Amino acid sequence: MHIAGSGTFALLLHSLSFSTVGEGMAEPAYTVASDSETTGEEKSSPAFPEIAIGIDIGTSQCSIAIWNGSQIELLKNTRNQKMMRSYVTFKDEVPSGGVSNQLSHEHDMLSGAAIFNMKRLIGRVDTDPVVHASKSLPFLVQTLDIGVRPFIAALVNNVWRSTTPEEVLAIFLVELRAMAETQLKRPIRNVVLTIPVSFSRFQLTRIERACAMAGLHVLRLMPEPTAVALLYAQQQQQTVHENMGSGSEKIALIFNMGAGYCDVALSATAGGVSQIKGLAGSAIGGEDLLQNMMRHLLPDIESRFANHGINEIKSMGLLRVATQDAIHKLSTQTSVQIDVDLGNGSKICKVVNSEEFEEVNQKIFEKCEKLIIQCLHDAKVEIEDITDVILVGGCSFIPKIRNLVKGICKKEALYDGMIPLEAAVRGAALEGAVASGISDPFGNLDLLTIQATPLGIGIRADGNNFVPIIPRNTTMPARKDLVFTTVRDNQTEALIIVYEGEGQKVEENHLLGYFKITGIPPAPKGVPEINVCMDIDASNVLRVLAGVILPGSPHPAIPVMEVRLPTVDDGHGWCAEALHKTYGSTLDLETVQKKI
Amino acid sequence: MSVSMVIGYHVSVPKFNPNKSKLRWKERCSGVTCCNARGGELRARNEKNYYELLGVSVDANMQEIKKAYRKLQKKYHPDIAGQQGHEYTLKLNEAYKVLMREDLRKEYDALFGRMRVQFGRNASSLGYSSWKGPLRPEALFVDENVCIGCRECVQHASNTFVMDEAMGCARVKVQYGDSDENIEVSVDSCPVNCIHWVDREELAVLEFLIQPQPIKGYGVFGGGWERPANVFMAAKAFNKQLKEQTAAENKQRNGQSSVEEESPAQAKARANASMEIKMGKFSRIWKFFEQVF
Repeated sequence: MHIAGSGTFALLLHSLSFSTVGEGMAEPAYTVASDSETTGEEKSSPAFPEIAIGIDIGTSQCSIAIWNGSQIELLKNTRNQKMMRSYVTFKDEVPSGGVSNQLSHEHDMLSGAAIFNMKRLIGRVDTDPVVHASKSLPFLVQTLDIGVRPFIAALVNNVWRSTTPEEVLAIFLVELRAMAETQLKRPIRNVVLTIPVSFSRFQLTRIERACAMAGLHVLRLMPEPTAVALLYAQQQQQTVHENMGSGSEKIALIFNMGAGYCDVALSATAGGVSQIKGLAGSAIGGEDLLQNMMRHLLPDIESRFANHGINEIKSMGLLRVATQDAIHKLSTQTSVQIDVDLGNGSKICKVVNSEEFEEVNQKIFEKCEKLIIQCLHDAKVEIEDITDVILVGGCSFIPKIRNLVKGICKKEALYDGMIPLEAAVRGAALEGAVASGISDPFGNLDLLTIQATPLGIGIRADGNNFVPIIPRNTTMPARKDLVFTTVRDNQTEALIIVYEGEGQKVEENHLLGYFKITGIPPAPKGVPEINVCMDIDASNVLRVLAGVILPGSPHPAIPVMEVRLPTVDDGHGWCAEALHKTYGSTLDLETVQKKI
Repeated sequence: MSVSMVIGYHVSVPKFNPNKSKLRWKERCSGVTCCNARGGELRARNEKNYYELLGVSVDANMQEIKKAYRKLQKKYHPDIAGQQGHEYTLKLNEAYKVLMREDLRKEYDALFGRMRVQFGRNASSLGYSSWKGPLRPEALFVDENVCIGCRECVQHASNTFVMDEAMGCARVKVQYGDSDENIEVSVDSCPVNCIHWVDREELAVLEFLIQPQPIKGYGVFGGGWERPANVFMAAKAFNKQLKEQTAAENKQRNGQSSVEEESPAQAKARANASMEIKMGKFSRIWKFFEQVF
């Protein structure tokens, strides 16, 4: 373990030095070739194809699983833990993560030296409310509120040492990889990672980048509830095998709420094929519940910890641990005594009951309800048609959440065939085996997930509006196109700005990239047809093609542009504003009304 | 380190297809056009239609379509078949989306001028009569517009006539399925005289035209099914049009007036084949009928 560990750390340091050099440059250095790629993506090449491992990086906990040839196996670390805390401590020369590190006490993690909750921070700009909510964490999160990446630092020997969420995640992944390699006695390259539904494509590139820094090739990034759906599909198929019954279609609602994110999915399952009919997600989770509760216990928390001094960090950590403990206890009992000495003379002595907890977090629970209803609506599924309701993730133990989901779905009982904290990683391991081309003689891997796009993708047109080209919940792979036209006479250039999201206005969505079409032949406004086509393949690569055609002419006026997105790097909040400042509306487009 | 992280994707410079007014591009790696997803335009005839693509019959229900879709996905999805499956899966998804939604499916059917009931391939199936014994110059035909569903004919010649319970009228199942005497009785017994003796050549056209066709609706208006009010007039016009087309296309066949030498099987096959070819033109002809009647 030690030898392997130090070896990979050398590799890590190498890639980290890369990262400092590469900072600010475009993406090139962080690409990793998979073995299958170099051999031309042949499915049936080696006798023992490499099985990709499944990793579930949670906001607070992380786990790793693999298909061992007959079943899914969760890997354990040296301390025999299946679930490992997701954090990295920058105490000594070499940073160490939650995989191998032994915390002497929970408070160690809250001294400011450890970075955690990276999943909530990765790929977000400093105007994002989620980043602002993270400012009360013990480590340093600084924002300039201009749409660039936030400044994140860990306290090492009384020095704030800067880092990035990608770097922290990479260090953590290196540890995970080392652990898996020691146990499986083979090098690990391909991984299937689970991600929240609400992650934008830009955030996905950050995850990929972190993986690349850790020497891992991402085979698939799978929204968490779809991984659960795959596991469900396998379980259903097994019961069909046993009962020899008919493989009738089963509709499952999957509700996954962890520390950082809440996701909902509806899947239709039959014969091992899990078809995702609807996805919905938001960045709400246990962390919000915890913060609301802390604010409830200590109303002046913001002003108290604004300075981020060492003593304040310490008392904040104490409060955090106490509150977390109380919330856990409220899952099984109706009231709990909180007794915590914050130092500098202030003490909190209070009895909190579950009504209080539910009232403080009412908004979050309402949002959960909204997500479920939206998902049902998008999937066009009636509540009566739902066969099973599956509740997973850390927050699935909270009675209020359980009742809320049961209430909406009008179900007496929840599906009990899964371990809530292991469902996602097990699904990821299954996908890893399926996507690696492994087959199982008993048909246990005779599975398929038909994914859907969690967010709409479109461009800016008709003024400042977001015009979706591929709508949300489109079955993948997907390809759609839409015709646009110029807004002024003799307009020779047009700006294609690609966004992802659900907002009506472009500002409410994530910027993915932009490019300019030049050389449009001079013509009156509304005459040139600008066709924008979007293509997403099964591995979720997005390409945008744009071409210009003049009516009556059979040939394109200019060569077609093809762009792989996202192209934006950090600070994309700035990009949109800069574009607007430079070009105004001179290069605008508008949609062509469909003629019947 | 230099290879791209995501599965290698070799896409050539897209081309515009000069034959289409709509913008399309091709990828050399796959050689499949980027289909316009909105509202199903008429695609090239040699391309498979959605029913063929999914391998279901035209009157397949939702369950059958779902099952077929899942089966094909398990074979062609890029997760299983690799990158080659991309284009095919795109088409499958499109076909599935259209056929699973009642309104889109109706629109698609209307666009193709396609019947829900499969045409031609097996003449004995719904709507088309088969022959018992040798072909004769005259054939029986029930004008379903006139038929009142009295069942008289079915009672007298049950091997020849059959009741279409859905439509509530009789139709010919087997030409000369009973003795001539029984047929004579049943024709005479019809209270509305809707059983006609027609030329054998005319039969196929009449039987095709009497079947209700889905009509294109506009929003909440229209839609549903229709057939020509006077099927004999329609057949005449239809035959005329066919003849003109045949004359223009193929002069040799025009000269071949006697079909008597052909064996029944050959005749049937030829009739089916020519019908199949003409199928695509039906939608145009249908519009012509709307103007005439």
